[in-house]
Amino acid sequence: MATPVESRADGGRASVALRRRVTPDLRSLALAVIGSATLLAWASQSAFNQDLLLLTGAYALIALGMYVPFVMVGKLSLAYGAYAAMGGYSVGLVASRSSWPLIVAWVLGALVAATAATILGLATRRLSNWYLASVTILFAVAFESWLQENDGITGGAGGIAGIRDFELLGWTLTRDQSVYAAVALVLVVGLAIDRMRLSAWGVTARTVREEPLVVETSGVRVPTLVLLALAFGAAVASLGGALFTSSVGSITPDTFTVHLVFLALFMPLIGGVGTPWGATLGAALVVQLTLNSSSISSSGTLILSVGVILMLLLSPNGLLTMADRLRRVIGDLLVRRPTR
Amino acid sequence: MGEVQLWVSTVEVGCFFALLGLAFLLVWQGTGDFNFAIGPLAMIAALCASWLVVERDAALWPSLAAGVALVLVLSAVIELGVVRPISSRTTHHLPVVVAIAAVLFALMQGAGVVFGRSSLPGQQILTFDPVTVGDSVVLPSTILLVVTTLVAFVLVIGWVRLTPSGRLLRAVGNNPDAANVIGLPVSRVRVTAFLVAGMLAALAGLLYAPKSGVGFDRGLTWTIAGFLVVVVGGTGTIWAPLVAGLLLGMLEIFLPYYFSASTPDYVLLVLALGFFAFRPEGLFMKRVRA
Repeated sequence: MATPVESRADGGRASVALRRRVTPDLRSLALAVIGSATLLAWASQSAFNQDLLLLTGAYALIALGMYVPFVMVGKLSLAYGAYAAMGGYSVGLVASRSSWPLIVAWVLGALVAATAATILGLATRRLSNWYLASVTILFAVAFESWLQENDGITGGAGGIAGIRDFELLGWTLTRDQSVYAAVALVLVVGLAIDRMRLSAWGVTARTVREEPLVVETSGVRVPTLVLLALAFGAAVASLGGALFTSSVGSITPDTFTVHLVFLALFMPLIGGVGTPWGATLGAALVVQLTLNSSSISSSGTLILSVGVILMLLLSPNGLLTMADRLRRVIGDLLVRRPTR
Repeated sequence: MGEVQLWVSTVEVGCFFALLGLAFLLVWQGTGDFNFAIGPLAMIAALCASWLVVERDAALWPSLAAGVALVLVLSAVIELGVVRPISSRTTHHLPVVVAIAAVLFALMQGAGVVFGRSSLPGQQILTFDPVTVGDSVVLPSTILLVVTTLVAFVLVIGWVRLTPSGRLLRAVGNNPDAANVIGLPVSRVRVTAFLVAGMLAALAGLLYAPKSGVGFDRGLTWTIAGFLVVVVGGTGTIWAPLVAGLLLGMLEIFLPYYFSASTPDYVLLVLALGFFAFRPEGLFMKRVRA
């Protein structure tokens, strides 16, 4: 039987663990802010770096969009390239065919993507995970073909170019401001998803991944929860497409392809499943390795994929999880007092 | 192009899809995982053989054997070196899915680095004169692909239904935990599933390459094709991929001919939604006697 002292010690440890679980991950947020500041300093060196940072922001939003349904709920959708394209084409179409502010296009794109994800989720709501993966990849392929073929609406293979600058309440963002705004947007969305992960809804969603029947029998409508996660993820991914298109001023069917979603699968897990900030780290690594390594440009994807395999072999739950475990081990070693 | 020629192409493409689908299905039945590396494995067999013949002036048959051997080695490495260690270290299914996706890219890009990024012609294995059917021509490569596909399906069905190792495949796939508890050789069954699937993928790639050519970037397209076959056919019976492959081949050939290049993509999506709504088990389901 445990002594009162031992019980108190155990209780204290448990309460610390509980606090760790229910309070926002401020340390990760601080690291994300420091990382963002470093990236901003790096981007200020050239326009090319700024383009890469904007693409990193877009990929990070796609990865964050995947995080909620894929990592938290365990539902694999493969249409995130299509959802990002919806956000991008929404911006392109509103800019080229109306005088509406582009922010309207961002909202419209998110709504369209969320609606598409809901319909696809409804079609497979009572079926196992791979049906969702199947129908979403078919949708992504069909959507890409539709973008290629419909010249009258989407501009066909040439896409839509010459998109006007982003303007909000009469204020037009400069290039530098766009980069800052993109980073801020990623931080806000990352923080929101981190809070969501720790909320009651997030805890339920994560339990659905492990024990869907238990959650269902405790009165939660699991199909509805899954649909919400899928719709939310699609809307966030569409913001990635809208961000990239608004920044670059053009979009083509090749911008967000089916190919991207297989790369995007890596992003949430590279950084780590324990926090959405891992997804942003994964996005940054993907962009650096596939697009910003001139010496290894032709084999960047090879290095990335081999790196992902090695990382999963070493730490199946991602880099940040491995770093966190190391930190705790080192911390325990440092604070442990010698016992008699 | 005449109607008969369209049907010849349909059968050819359908058989290729069917072999890829069968490879997917075997891994699914034996391990419960989708091996998304099937497409790159088919590509690597064909690209390796073509590279040896075209770039290294090697003889045809040793080159074909090298392509198959390379794919078998890679299949074993995927299971023993990647999937198994990762699944043993985590209770989540996601890392395994991501690892297989990473293998897909690693194989494609690795093939590009080793064999070059240019497309190469597939190797003609049989060289007799084409057979004329009405106003259409059936090439030796088509005949070989069709015959091999039929033989492969007969052999695999016989293996799964009649042999102890084939029945083990289904037993382990249905419930790996229970199979472990009662002492079935789960590890051996999983490796066998990956190896047989790799063999089928290699055959598919080698025999279809004379029609399509082969390049390192074909891997993803072929993976999606094989996956779609399983989606349409379902996972109920071994011969479902043959019917689903031929059906998809028909869509792939006839719809672009009469409508537009994208029509198969739209029809597939509508078909899948219809299947999932009304017949989610696919065209064929396993019937269990009460």
